[in-house]
This record gives sequence, structure tokens and C-alpha cells, in this order.
Amino acid sequence: MRLEKHASSLVDYTQPLSFVFNNKAYKGFKGDTLASALVANDVLYYARSFKYGRKRGIIGAGVEEPNALVSLEIGGRYTPNMKATEIMLYDGLSAVSSSNPHSIDFRAMIKPLHRFMPAGFYYKTFIKQKVWSIVEDRLRSLSGFSKAPLVTDEDVYDHIFQHTEVLVIGGGVAGMSAALEVLSGSKVARVILVDERENLGGELTNEFTTDQTATLWFQEAKGKLQKYRDEDNSRLKILTSATAYAWYDHNYIEVLQTHGTGQSMIHESGQTARKVLHKIRTKEVILATGAHERPMLFETNDLANIMLSQSVRRYINEFNVVAGKEIVLYGNNDSIYNTAIDLSKHNIKSKVVDVRASGNESEIILEAKKIGIEVFQGFAVLKAKGKSRVTGVEISQVEMQAKPPHWKSKWRITGDTKTINCDLLATSGGFNPVVHLDCHCGGKTYFDETSQSFLPQKERKERQVCGAVNSVGFWKDAMIDAKNKAQLTLSSLGEEVEVTPQKLTNRSHNYFNVDQFFTPLEILNKPKVFIDLQNDVTTLDVALSIREGYQSIEHIKRYTAMGFGTDQGKTGNINGIAVAAEFLDAPMSEVGTTTFRPAYTGVDFGAMAGREVGDFFDPQRFTTIHDSHVNSGAKFEVVGQWYRPWYYPKNGEDIHQAVNRECRAVRSSLGMMDASTLGKIDIQGKDAREFLSRVYTNAWMKLAPGSCRYGLMCNEKGMIIDDGVSTCINDHHFIMTTTTGGAASVYSTLEMWLQTEWSHLDVHLSSVTDQFSTVAVVGPNARKLMNKLCPDVDFDSKSFKFMQWRPGTVCGVEARIMRISFSGELAYEINIAANYGRFIWDEVAREGQEWNITPYGTESMHVLRAEKGFIIVGQDTDGSMTPMDVNMNWILAKNKPFSYIGRRSFSVSALNSNDRLQLVGLLTKDDQVVLPEGAHIISNKGISIGYVTSSYYSPVLGRSIALAQLKGGLSKMSETVLVKIVQEKQGLKEIPCEVSSSVFYDINGEKVDGNE
Amino acid sequence: MFSIHCPYCKEPRDQNEFSPAGEAFIARPENPEALSDEQWADYVFYRTNLKGDHWEQWVHTSGCRKYFLVKRSTISHEVIEVATFEEIDSENAS
Repeated sequence: MRLEKHASSLVDYTQPLSFVFNNKAYKGFKGDTLASALVANDVLYYARSFKYGRKRGIIGAGVEEPNALVSLEIGGRYTPNMKATEIMLYDGLSAVSSSNPHSIDFRAMIKPLHRFMPAGFYYKTFIKQKVWSIVEDRLRSLSGFSKAPLVTDEDVYDHIFQHTEVLVIGGGVAGMSAALEVLSGSKVARVILVDERENLGGELTNEFTTDQTATLWFQEAKGKLQKYRDEDNSRLKILTSATAYAWYDHNYIEVLQTHGTGQSMIHESGQTARKVLHKIRTKEVILATGAHERPMLFETNDLANIMLSQSVRRYINEFNVVAGKEIVLYGNNDSIYNTAIDLSKHNIKSKVVDVRASGNESEIILEAKKIGIEVFQGFAVLKAKGKSRVTGVEISQVEMQAKPPHWKSKWRITGDTKTINCDLLATSGGFNPVVHLDCHCGGKTYFDETSQSFLPQKERKERQVCGAVNSVGFWKDAMIDAKNKAQLTLSSLGEEVEVTPQKLTNRSHNYFNVDQFFTPLEILNKPKVFIDLQNDVTTLDVALSIREGYQSIEHIKRYTAMGFGTDQGKTGNINGIAVAAEFLDAPMSEVGTTTFRPAYTGVDFGAMAGREVGDFFDPQRFTTIHDSHVNSGAKFEVVGQWYRPWYYPKNGEDIHQAVNRECRAVRSSLGMMDASTLGKIDIQGKDAREFLSRVYTNAWMKLAPGSCRYGLMCNEKGMIIDDGVSTCINDHHFIMTTTTGGAASVYSTLEMWLQTEWSHLDVHLSSVTDQFSTVAVVGPNARKLMNKLCPDVDFDSKSFKFMQWRPGTVCGVEARIMRISFSGELAYEINIAANYGRFIWDEVAREGQEWNITPYGTESMHVLRAEKGFIIVGQDTDGSMTPMDVNMNWILAKNKPFSYIGRRSFSVSALNSNDRLQLVGLLTKDDQVVLPEGAHIISNKGISIGYVTSSYYSPVLGRSIALAQLKGGLSKMSETVLVKIVQEKQGLKEIPCEVSSSVFYDINGEKVDGNE
Repeated sequence: MFSIHCPYCKEPRDQNEFSPAGEAFIARPENPEALSDEQWADYVFYRTNLKGDHWEQWVHTSGCRKYFLVKRSTISHEVIEVATFEEIDSENAS
């Protein structure tokens, strides 16, 4: 119901807005939240409950709301699980309930069964009966709230890094005061003020109706803040509709900001984005996060139109709406009287039920009585009446029986029950300080008896707490508290301030004078006393958990699901702890809280990803030859971050046809490949040679200038980490090549040895991967082409031998030509300055036409190298393979004076066991069957004894070949083993294979000199 | 995310510019061949896994690529001290 406009309302009646909720059209106004507009339209039901399918209404007015979850918009702008209380209304808004209260679904149908379904029901019922696999799918479809989005998010999200001296979290009276105090007390300290609501002021707006001084203070403070910001926007940033949801190490705090309406916003860097994730690093934090009200507990406390008292108050004051006409307020502290008085200002009658006995009354109670509000002191609500919505309450007189020396006073219900009719019940069981953020990164809480709440630990480095989160409720006191704390912050920043703490007024209607939790067992033992509305957790679930031995609050939480879900128990959790304390007969402080972890509220995946989606997900690296590959119609694969040609299909070939053609060309005439992506490290210095012989397993001292050598690199554990060819330019200058994917980590490892252990060696490393382009010319006719391209080098195999290099001029470009081979064929790698890559590639292609030169990609390269049994580190090895395991004992130098990296490990007995996985070849008995890579080799007992690491069809051999890691494989030559594979239709199949040498082609290496 | 002061760049930078490189002050044995398997394993595998103030190596991967030393509380994650290897060496010498 909409009320008459009044001064403190933020709703603008001159700007009506239309929106759709659950397929029905409604009207609201600018300044409304979706929730307040729906309350104005007398919408009662927002959700069907998670487990029991009960219809649920709205409870809160902000971030604490557990029930009114909606999916906003559709298609590319669809956002699931938003709280209706946090969405600012805009024209044309369209939302549906996350679980529609009006549909008769499976959940609604099982509702009558709910009393047979306590916590743990599904697990106990189905897992023990071994039918879980049958029912799992059905049950999973019932779980969760909104449906996941189906299409790509069409919005853009941004990240902004912020650095500041002081971050004030919470823009209510405490946060505003603290920010002003810091700004006036320091000339340099930068401040960021963050609040989750669209407007500053927090709960202070509730005072505007009754307290003129509050309005005046607010206007003045807001004006001052705006002035600071406008004068120097590096001094103060005000982020509204922005939630600080996580506090990580070293004061790194993440804040998610949205346009209040959920529409796109233009943020401070001038870009448009749906939401902005601020990554804030701050020196000091001032927490002014306020408190959430908690409800009272009674039977069927989940009916629609049972709300929180402070929320009812906010709906009237801020939005001019109220959800009922006959209102009962029920609670254990003075805040319910404020709500009653505010209601009376709108001529709405209410009755107050206060569990506290009469006598010793505060001003506010006297004031309420004076204006004729009917007050039942020493009474409690035992039960809410009504089917799906509240129609009345059963109340009864209660009595507190203090039982010293017992830790907790007990309640007793006395007298008869009577019924009061109502259509709205608003309750307040006290306030839970929002300690979440403070606990994310090591902060502890303690239980405070006066406020009956968990408060943040008093002292913490680089952090202050003030206002309601510090159990200071009265707004003028929050202001004083904030000033006091801001002075401490200033002094911690090194400002010369006089820290002169002012005393709080301690006005009597401090909301934090809360009576003991009203949790008599007569009520807790009734069914349908809900603690956590979002997860349908009742008091009896907690009792069951405790009975079954799950007594730690962390166990109770997980057994019952209390405090899970999108609201993370903001209203229910502390009540749950109180209930557990009652059943356990233990003090609250001993029961303690569950652990608060990030995130405080839901964070969109889109916001986390920011702009790092699509093409920006990962950096993409291209060689200078890339465009030529594209023109040739290459298909690419990503290796590391490089886009490497995978194969070059011609005339509609598939990958197999293309690879067969490419391989045949290389073996019979001439192929060419872009090898620019291999990592290249330039190594210079007097001790370069010594350095290589320390990090590689083989000998380097005698490698002459003009020569190249293959090296295998291990770590100290003796495991292979990389391989590649290094070239001796001169005695003090080498160029090492690494695997494409391993370049960065090898470089980093080499630097580590040089910087941390061998700083006395004269060696300097520089990554030159991007400085050179490499074109490999491969095949028996390679020499003929090289003679044509490079007349100033003698390519005769007697003078330019395998594993040598020569400087030369290729098509007029200065080049280093290495005669090395990864295919077993005669091959030359032409290295030129990177920018000549495309030119040389195209020249090689043109001049090579005579021999039908064929560009080939990584797939053919793999086939060619596998035919020769050359390993690929990372494919045929996995970080647990020694050189012995891959049958490369020949590369382990015996007589190097320095015990090279990994050497000592080779003599450890475990690494010499015959039982290790060893690299072998596998030949399928049916030579046309190509094994899938990763398939396991199984023993006759069906246990894995190894797996296939590389597997291809070899066109030159006309059969399949595979490399595999097999237990004790090197002593199993010619034996038959079984490889288990899954076939698409026929299911599992065992393929017999013969264990063979890993060299399949040109076993004696006769091809490496090519054709003369 | 930690904020680490790089002793070479002389500025605090976010953790994602750095990579951890294990416990500090574990010297490579002078003569590995003279060690027993147990002594070698102790060097290769065993670390103190300290609860308290812990010296560790970090490298400024996306910055100056220098390795340096960080003394960090493994309880609060507070960085207590950063130093270059040279600084520690000269400290030990004096």
C-alpha cells in the first residue's frame, strides 16, 4: 500500500515507472526498489521455499533479504538470484521470481510430506539404499534457485585499481562522519567512501521523520563531502551502489559497484560498463558497516507479511509504502517502539508485544504509550496464525527466570494464550553487527552480553570500527564514535592529531540494549520454527544435528545447511547459534560463530572476468610469418600462447589427409615449417660454457664454435624438465633453444640458479625468442634449395655437417643456418632477424616450388618426430620421468667435474628400479588401428601398467605407431600388451599391441644427409 | 593478494607480478656425490614448513625478474622484511 508523500521520502511521485514482475504489469516510482514497488502494489508472495515449497513473502529491505530472489531481464542481460530489495526500479524492468510462488511444481506437491524430511533426509534415504545414482538427477534439478544463464552476457564489466590511504566502508552516519574527520584532519590522506545503497545516509534516513536535527546534520555532512570531492577528486571518491564484498591480505579489498538500477553505468574512467569491480589497496580501513536486524523465533514464523521491524520502518520512511493496515510489532528491544511511532505519524495503528517485563522504562516506551499505542509488556508471540499469510498472533505472558550461577537466564511461559488479529507482523530480536568483512582476513569476534551480539575484536592493526558494527546504535553516538576512531586512523597514518576521545551520550534507547535471546524450549521444540528461511532450516533440524553428534557450530551449519545460499544467513545465522546454545545448554561465546569467508554478497562472474573474455582471455602470440599461414589456409593450434599452424588443408582435405600429404612430402622431397616459436635464450659471458654444463646433463666444454648440441635439462629431483639444441657462437656466446611451452619457466629457472647460487659465474641471459624468426627447410632435397637461396655457404655434407651451423646470407638477409633435424631428414633452420620472417618464408616457398616444397604444421611435425622416437617434453614425459626412463642414458655425462643439476638423484635406488614407467614404442597388431592418446595399458588383472603418450598414423610406414610409458617397458620388448579403449558405440575394447623400440623409421639414421 | 615491496624496483607491487620460489637459505650442497640418499633427499624435498616468521625467495616475474628474499609471517601473511641477496650476504659478513 502506498502512503501519502512525506518529506523524508526518497520516492519521486512525479516520475512513474512501469515494470513487469512474474508476467504481470505494475507501476512504481523513481526512487523505489523493485521490492518497495511490489509492496506498494500489495504483492504478497515472492518465492516458494527451497525444500518444503512453502509460499514466502518479503522480510527485509536490503542486502539481508532471504526470500525475494528474482531473475532480472532475459537473454544476454539475464542476471539470476538478485534480491528484489537491492534492485532500483527503472522503466521497463522485467523480473521473475527465482522460484515462482504461483506455479504448482514438484516442490509444492511434496510440501505435505515435509515433516517426514528432516535435515540429511536425502542422503540418509538414498545413499544408504544405493539408489543415489538413480535419483540424483531428479533431485539436483530441484536444487538451487534461479536457472543459470543460457546465452553469453552481452554486457561489459570493468576493473579499476584504486590506491588510497583510508577506505571507509559504510556510508551511514558513522562512515560519513569518519570520512569527514579524516579529510579535515589531514591535508594529504586520500579517502574512498563506499556504500552498498544508492544514497548515502544508511539508516539515518529513518530518523528524518521524527528528528529535525538528523535531517540538518545529514544535509550539511553530505554537502561537505561533495565539496571535498568536487574540489579535488583524488582526495575523496564516493562509491555508492557499491558493495565491499571481500577483504584479502595486506588490506586489499574488492568492491563491486553497479548502477543502482542494474543498468549500465558510466564510471570514473569514462567507460560504460554494467558493473565495475574496484580493486582497492588501502593503508587504513574504517569499518562502519552497520548491523542487520534479526527476527524473533516462534511457530510458523515464515508466513507472508512477517517482516523485520527496521525494514518496515525503512519502507515507510524511505519509500512511503507499508505492507499492512493492522500491525503488530514484536521484539526484545526499543527499536520496535520507533517503528510504532513512525507508523503512527502516518495514522497507522499498531500494537507492541515486548518480551521484556514492564518497569525501568526508557523515554521511547513512555512516548509510545503517551501517543496511545497499545503495549503488551512481558508478552511473547508463540505462534503466527494464518495459512500462507499472517492473519493474527497468539501471545502469552512470559517470565524470565534468572538462574545465577547458571550462565543463561531461562524463559517460562505463564498464563493463557490470547489472539490478536493483524495483517502484518514486524519483529526485532536485536541486531547483528556486520562483522563479515572484518573476519575475512583474520579478524576475530567476541560475544558481547549487553548487545547480545558478536562484535569485531576491539584492536586490529590498520583498522577501526565505528557505529552500529561496534554496537553503537543511537545516531549521535555513532557520530562521536566515528570521530574518535578516525582520529586513531589519522594518528596511525602518522598525522599529528590530538586523540581526544569524546564520551558517548549513551542515550537510553540504544538499540543495542537487547534482552536475552527469547528461545524457550517450549517454542524451539515445535515444528515450523524457521531459523534460515532461504534454506528451510528449522529449530528441530538443529536439535537433530546435535542429537546425531554434530555439535560444533561448523558441523551444525553443514548438517542443516543453515547460513548457506545467497543471503549467507544474514538474518538467520545468529539466531541459529542461539538455538544451538539453548539445545546444547552452552553459552553463546562457547558456541561461537561459523567462519565468515568472502564473498559477503553474490558477485557476477562477468564482473570477476572483467574485460578478460573472448580474445582478451589470454594474450595471443603470433609469429611474423602468421599472415602467410593464414593466406595458405592453415588451421592453428595454441601452444603456450602461440598460434602455431597445425596443418595446411588443401582442396577440402581433412586433418588426416593433409597430414599424410605433408609427411610424405617431407620424407620424399621437401617441406618447410615455421619454427619461430621455440624459446631462444641468448647466453653470454666467460662462464657460459660452464653454466651450460651445469644445467644440462651432457658435456659442453669441448663444443666448438660452429657446432650445435642437443641437451636434456633436469631438475634436482632428476626429472626431465626441458630439452633443445644449443648453438656455440663463440667460446663466450651460446644460444639455447627451449620447448615452445617451457620457454618462460626454463628462463626463470636458469635465472634462479644464476642469481641465488652461482652469482660468481660470469653469465648473462636474455630471452631472444621474439628477436628471431626461424624457417626450417626439411627433406632430402633441402640442400639443393639451400644452395639456391644462400650462395655464400658451402652446404656439402662433408664440410657442413649435421649439428653444425654457419653464418650466411639468405636472399640478401644475414642469417644463422643451423643444420639440425627434428624429423630425421636432412634439414636446415634459417634464423633471421624477426622482421624478415615473412619475407624469407615467402622466398623459400617460391624458390622451393621446383621440389614441390610443402609447408607443414605441428601435427605433421609430431608424426615425423614420433617416427624417429624423438620425445616431446610434457607430452611423452610428465615431470616424473628421468632420462633413464626415456632410454636416454647416453646423454648422462659421467666425468663432468661439477655435479650437474639432477645428477645426484640418478643414483638414488628408487629412480633405478625396473618397475618404473619407461618409454617404449607400441605397435598395434591390427596396423590400421590408431590408439587414442591417454589410453591405459592394462595388466591381465585389469590394472593400469602404463599409458599411451603419443599416437599417430604414419603414412611413410603405412601403419599406426605409438609411444607409451609402460612399467618396466624397456625389458618387455616384443611382448604383447593390452590397451583398453572406449569405442563410441561398442563400448570398452582391449587392443593387443607389441612392445617395440621407440624408433620406428630410419633406425640407423641414414636419411640425415639427404640427397646429394 | 599480498603487496610486496620489490627491493630492486623500490616500490610496493601486487603479488600477481611475483612468483614464489621456495624457502630461502637452502644452499645447494658443495659436493652432492658425497651425500647419503637421506642427506640429498633432505636438500631436495624437505622444508621446515614453519609456523611463524619465514624467510622465502620470491622473483619479480613480471617486473625486473630479480630474485630476492622476503621474511613473511605464515600466520598473518604480514611481510616483515625484504632484502636482496647482496644485502643479506654483507650483513652476514659484518
